[in-house]
Amino acid sequence: MYSLYIDTHYIELVLALFKNEKIVCIKKLESNKHSENTINLLNELLIENNITVDNLKEIIVINGPGSFTGVRIGVVIAKIIGYTKNINIKALSYLEAVSLNYDKDVIVGLKDRNGIFIGEFDKEHNLVDDYYYLSNKEFESFDKNIIIDDVVDILKVINYMKDKEVINPHLLKPLYVKRIEVEKC
Amino acid sequence: MKDVYILAIESSCDETSMAIVKNGKEVISLSIATQIKTHENYGGVVPEIASRMHTEAITLVLEDTLKKANMKIEEVDAIAVTYAPGLTGSLIVGIEAAKTLSLIYNKPLIAVNHLIGHIYANNIEDNMEFPLLALIVSGGHTELLIMESDYKFKKLGETLDDAIGEAYDKVARVIGLKYPGGPNVEKYALEGKHSYNLPKPVMDDTYNFSYSGLKSAIINLVHNAEQKGEEINKYDLARSFQDVAIDELVRKVEKAFLETGIKRLVVAGGVSANKYLKEEMDKLCQKYDAKLMIPRLLYCTDNAAMIGAAAYPLYLKQEFIDYKINASSHVDIC
Repeated sequence: MYSLYIDTHYIELVLALFKNEKIVCIKKLESNKHSENTINLLNELLIENNITVDNLKEIIVINGPGSFTGVRIGVVIAKIIGYTKNINIKALSYLEAVSLNYDKDVIVGLKDRNGIFIGEFDKEHNLVDDYYYLSNKEFESFDKNIIIDDVVDILKVINYMKDKEVINPHLLKPLYVKRIEVEKC
Repeated sequence: MKDVYILAIESSCDETSMAIVKNGKEVISLSIATQIKTHENYGGVVPEIASRMHTEAITLVLEDTLKKANMKIEEVDAIAVTYAPGLTGSLIVGIEAAKTLSLIYNKPLIAVNHLIGHIYANNIEDNMEFPLLALIVSGGHTELLIMESDYKFKKLGETLDDAIGEAYDKVARVIGLKYPGGPNVEKYALEGKHSYNLPKPVMDDTYNFSYSGLKSAIINLVHNAEQKGEEINKYDLARSFQDVAIDELVRKVEKAFLETGIKRLVVAGGVSANKYLKEEMDKLCQKYDAKLMIPRLLYCTDNAAMIGAAAYPLYLKQEFIDYKINASSHVDIC
């Protein structure tokens, strides 16, 4: 049985299949239209490895933060497969995934056009306080060391997620962090 | 012929809906999760909030739809989804769910235009016979079309500016009525008299509509009254507006009856839930001995059953689409 890794949170679309904690296949695509590309890429991944969704036992999904629509695409796919095929879903944030690259307290960031999503982690990768978003202007006066736009090591994620909790597909939600205009009023 | 079951998904605005429809006519199950209560707090639909709520509801609505039908996805013949027009972020949630289901169960995928869905809502409890006139009245559209056969349309006219539903919503806001504006203006109009003199939109010889002039006249009227410290009679103003707005539709449909000789009228879209519109069209159809079709309320407002009904002719023609399909906020019927 295989596990499926889904990451649609930002520009690079990443899908991976793994088995017994080893990566079997990774598909990456620079894409500004995840809605046109994600299912096609997933279809290719399954066909090339000669499997179907029925050969999956688990989905690990990056649930945000990043592009709202991008994140929703990955989350909706995970929810639908998880619900219909009764497959375990586990979720983690991109920022938490990056923190796995470091065995120390670390601050991780992801930039978008208008600002930056930030998460601070201890060396066990527990989130300190909450995720937050700073505008580009606010970020100018940010004076702590921060790792920005780092690459996720999927093998580390697989290993780390082994004993993490399974989420009910109905309850799986994107992690948005950034507030939208109407929420600020 | 073998029965065809279509699982349909609709998420173009503020309702997450799924349905299983048999042979484009029989609604086996229908589930609708509405977000109206949430958007009420903001005085209108907030697109990002709508997309978020669709995401949270999507598997719950699927579960409800399957349970009500007592069916498994394996048993359906195709997956249909609204791809346009609507709020892009909202449409994407439904589209992604549909593509995923199509991939998992190896079912053909059908893309349905939301407005054509509204027209086919009339085929659920009645039979559409062609040719017919189709009047689309919603928050984003006001169009009059000739439908010659399944999916064969010819446009007679459309709004040059605001859609009629948009005008209702704006009038509601100007006179201080809550979202959703249309039904509230209608309620007020019921208790009012036509006492305000409002300009008639487009008095030309085309089939086009216009609602921005009428809307501006009302904004000015309310503004002037405020400046003079006069009180506006909201009931009378709602009634005066509704009379003029609906009369515009009636005049153009009447012109179409006379000029095309077609004696069938289908009214589609959210505003078709308006009772006054229904009464006036009924009178007009009686006058010309024409057949009027307006879906019952459940199928007037956004729902996936109409998407399943509109997908059926496409299923018969094997017009399936691939996973490249994307959401589109604006797409013309023809």
